[in-house]
Amino acid sequence: MSFESDLLAHLPQLRRYARALTGDRAWADDLVQDATERALNRARSFHAGTNLRAWLFTIMRNLYIDQLRGRRDIAVDDESAPWRQMAAPRGEVDGLVLRDVQRALYCLPVEQREVMLLVCVEEMSYQEASVVLNVPTGTVMSRLSRAREHMRVLLGEESGRKASPSSLKVVSRS
Amino acid sequence: MTNQDRPSEGGDRMGPPKPDRDLQALSAFIDDELPGNERDAVAERVAGDPASEATVAAYRAQDNALRALFADQSEPQIVRLRPRSRERYLIAAGFMAVGLACGFLLQMLLPALGDKPRFAERADIAYAVYAPEQRHAVEVAASQQDHLVTWLSKRLNRAVTIPSLAEYGFQLVGGRLLPDEEGPAAQFMYQNAAGERLTLYMTTATIRRNDSKIRTLKDGQRTTFYWAWNRVGYALSGQIGEEKLQAIAYDTCKELGGDPKNW
Repeated sequence: MSFESDLLAHLPQLRRYARALTGDRAWADDLVQDATERALNRARSFHAGTNLRAWLFTIMRNLYIDQLRGRRDIAVDDESAPWRQMAAPRGEVDGLVLRDVQRALYCLPVEQREVMLLVCVEEMSYQEASVVLNVPTGTVMSRLSRAREHMRVLLGEESGRKASPSSLKVVSRS
Repeated sequence: MTNQDRPSEGGDRMGPPKPDRDLQALSAFIDDELPGNERDAVAERVAGDPASEATVAAYRAQDNALRALFADQSEPQIVRLRPRSRERYLIAAGFMAVGLACGFLLQMLLPALGDKPRFAERADIAYAVYAPEQRHAVEVAASQQDHLVTWLSKRLNRAVTIPSLAEYGFQLVGGRLLPDEEGPAAQFMYQNAAGERLTLYMTTATIRRNDSKIRTLKDGQRTTFYWAWNRVGYALSGQIGEEKLQAIAYDTCKELGGDPKNW
């Protein structure tokens, strides 16, 4: 019984990760549903005392990778990508425009996006993230570092792009 | 720590040429994942180097912004507990069996409901058009039979065999290329001493399945027997009486590889 209640306690976090990863509420809810079901059906293969959160995230991440492959086959182009339909967030945090951060996050390759979400949003240790992603901790470290640097470049481009149209306006007015 | 990943995803867009290792240390520093002595060294570097300090600040800002982006997830998650997977498989298998049975029945019933392949109609019309033709009954005459076979095999993308109907008194006159609904078709013409003509029509374009049962299409005096075998549709047309034509059709079907058990 405690397995199920422990599992329930992790659901909000699982869903937050699913939504962040996919950028699509419906897809995320399906992922959580599928992952929960699979976890309940495989409860016996979970070793009590080990990390339940990492186990759940692993199950869901594997489902996501499978489904992503399926969706890629239908060739999701950039315009119809799920996160294009996401509501644009308002506001700024630490000088970063949230809308730009959101856009940059979905420009990252999925390997970079997932490690960034696991460590920065879910606040997993590198060791825990390495279990979920099934890679060595060293890879978590290097991948995350690249993701952060990549995002910094993307956010830099955003502000650069914003600057140029205004100068064009001036030329057309004169 | 070794870098086990591909060296640099989008490395050329990374901007300032800082060594990866330094950036990794800064990144791990924020996450408090460095061993004590390394952590102190990095802390010292950050304090003394404005560029490193800026990097750390930028990464921290990213973290905060990301957490803010996904902070609000308050509504409850509804998880439906469906039947366990084994039961689901059984249910799915049941539906699949029913589906397969329906499909099979439909396939058996459809031809009986008069689903005439279009190629049979086309063969019948081609017969009506070309059989009365005296000077241009064929494009390539039987005297160039080798060329005829090579040419039409190439166009139909299949090794074409021209059956001999000599035992029924019909000699090959020649053949021609015709358009079928979605691709090429071949028509071979035969003639007997009395000047009666038969045509054997073959097409590969619209044949989706084998149906070596021989069927009949009648239009006025003309009769066409048709069947499909090995993804080639065959149609034998003529006006020499149904029984006689049927006998020839059966032999032709057999000669071209059809299975007499299906007749």
